[in-house]
Amino acid sequence: MLNSIFYPASIAVIGASNNEIKWGGRILKNILSAYKGKVYPVNPGETNIQGLDSYHSVLDIPGEVEMALIIVPAKFVLSVAEECGKKGVKGLIVISAGFSEAGNAELEKELVSIVRKYGMRMIGPNTLGIVNEPAGLNASIIGRLPTPGSISFITQSGSLGLALAEWTIDTGIGLCKVISTGNKADVDDVDLIEYLNNDPSTGVIAMYVEGIKRGREFIDAVRRVRKPIVAIKTGRSKRGAKAVFSHTGSIAGSDEVYSAAFRQAGILRVDDIDDLFDAALAFSCQPLPEGNNVAILSNGGGASIVAADECERQGLNIVDLTLETREKIQKVIPQFASNSNPIDTAGTVSFEIYDKSIKALHDDPNVDAIIVIYVHTMMFSAMPPAEAVVEMKQKCIKAKSSKPIIACWMGGEGTEEGVEILKSGCIPNYPVPERAVKALSCLIKHREFLDKVKIEVGPEDKMGRCK
Amino acid sequence: MKILTEHETKKVLSKYGIMVTQESLAKSSDEAFSIASTIGFPVAMKISSPDISHKSDVGGVVLNIKKEDVKTAFSDMISRIKKAVPGANIEGVLVQQMAPSGHEVIVGLKKDAQFGHALMFGLGGIFVEIYKDVSFRVTPIDKKEALEMISEIKGYPILKGIRGKKPADIDAVAQVLVSVSEMAQKENIVELDINPLIVGEIGAIAVDARAMVEK
Repeated sequence: MLNSIFYPASIAVIGASNNEIKWGGRILKNILSAYKGKVYPVNPGETNIQGLDSYHSVLDIPGEVEMALIIVPAKFVLSVAEECGKKGVKGLIVISAGFSEAGNAELEKELVSIVRKYGMRMIGPNTLGIVNEPAGLNASIIGRLPTPGSISFITQSGSLGLALAEWTIDTGIGLCKVISTGNKADVDDVDLIEYLNNDPSTGVIAMYVEGIKRGREFIDAVRRVRKPIVAIKTGRSKRGAKAVFSHTGSIAGSDEVYSAAFRQAGILRVDDIDDLFDAALAFSCQPLPEGNNVAILSNGGGASIVAADECERQGLNIVDLTLETREKIQKVIPQFASNSNPIDTAGTVSFEIYDKSIKALHDDPNVDAIIVIYVHTMMFSAMPPAEAVVEMKQKCIKAKSSKPIIACWMGGEGTEEGVEILKSGCIPNYPVPERAVKALSCLIKHREFLDKVKIEVGPEDKMGRCK
Repeated sequence: MKILTEHETKKVLSKYGIMVTQESLAKSSDEAFSIASTIGFPVAMKISSPDISHKSDVGGVVLNIKKEDVKTAFSDMISRIKKAVPGANIEGVLVQQMAPSGHEVIVGLKKDAQFGHALMFGLGGIFVEIYKDVSFRVTPIDKKEALEMISEIKGYPILKGIRGKKPADIDAVAQVLVSVSEMAQKENIVELDINPLIVGEIGAIAVDARAMVEK
């Protein structure tokens, strides 16, 4: 059913406008920018909007309408929704605000009952809209379509979600869908996660959550989802604010309960916005490792120690390498450099050093995942080691290897040449070792969860989700 | 909302197979003496009143009472409580077996608006009060999950037995967690503390408990 919202054959924009500063003008313009299906502007005061014939009512539209966006003042929403039902519209996105979020819970209830009466599904009210990149659909106030990717981002109402989506687009992280849930009066998190789990173009789900409805059902439904879900949950509560009856009551604030619930559901709860997209990026282009044994390769001892420390904090194991691996690596690094994990090339950098070392680490049966660090200095180019990583990744894809490679290219001017190579080679790259390790730890934790609940990993979990 | 006394709470716990201290409510000093004789000396005495949930704060708990002191302990407690909490509805005094030795842990429940009930586990005493070394699950949980939640707390090695000490009966604690998870909805629990649940080498016993239920 939600397909009618994400992949509609035709769209009515009710409350469309010629004024692009208005929401109804902005959203129509965004839809027209890339969407190939039929678009019908509806506005009783206009006959032509943004070059298209405009209709007085959705009922006047000659053809079928699969999905309708409603961008009219709250007091008109019920009658407009009713007309949509009569017209046979299957999906609604209600942008209009002024419902439960403004204290009008009754109005929202009536809206939901109209939606149900006609068997429609509705996102909102009070949503900023949705984006579905594979359908070329930008039915939102987000400025442009994102670059293609496998991350679908669910965000609860609030301009923060919008800013995050824009920021993601800026950083070049590919997105599949952006869904602003609004008040979740009909379609809620459970519906969306179940839909995205079956959506072939979604590889990983990122969430910005303020609160969850249907808590217990949420846990049960999400537990069955194989795709990774990373979430940031805001509103950490103050505990023990008032005198309570029991110890449990004083300690079990809603935040603690959310953490427990997310864990039981297999959602990876992260602390901040960087973590959210860092993890999503890693999931979007790397396979899930089979265990938590990590090997680190670096041209700087300091950076590898930072990485190793963070590994320990995250419960990842800096694994002992086999003698064979160490001998292979010793052949390409200087005599005085370290051939034990973390590998430190003692400042030397070349395609050959990185290529041979990464290959040796990859072939080591003890190693489940590899972190490759490059600390930029003016003496070397950031490109050859990046090329070595990308080449290894290609080999991994051919060999159907499930060992993820995470990169950390550190430094100032000159680093970006290497970073570009990594980006185009679909290697998750982070500017500091801690972020690389945290992202990797999410891959490992998700794999552990799937094993725990006995969900078999899919082919894309084994091989990564790179297109 | 209704607050259950310790004795009432323990009756609920017993119903779900949780071991509780041997105890009975005494309304007179003679009754206290005869209950204590059945239990065996020494005994503990605790004030029983729906109006007093923090008993030790008002002098409502006396431990290690010998045979010859039982009757005086009873009447002293009644007069002390009447003075400390004027007008409190006093049901009597709970005469109870002394707690066996073992590790003190806390098991609790809290009703949550979003997720139903949250179940909490931690080591008792300062571990819960100062360090908040606890783990949570949303109910219902199974035994496997209960064992996992026990192993999650930082103080877990203490239960496993450190420095040559014998390990505590972790399986019995897990069983208590499963039973508490089971009663959450059935008994309409709003809040529940079993504090402490004392875990020995064999078995776990609820020594003190309080609950708030929805009527």
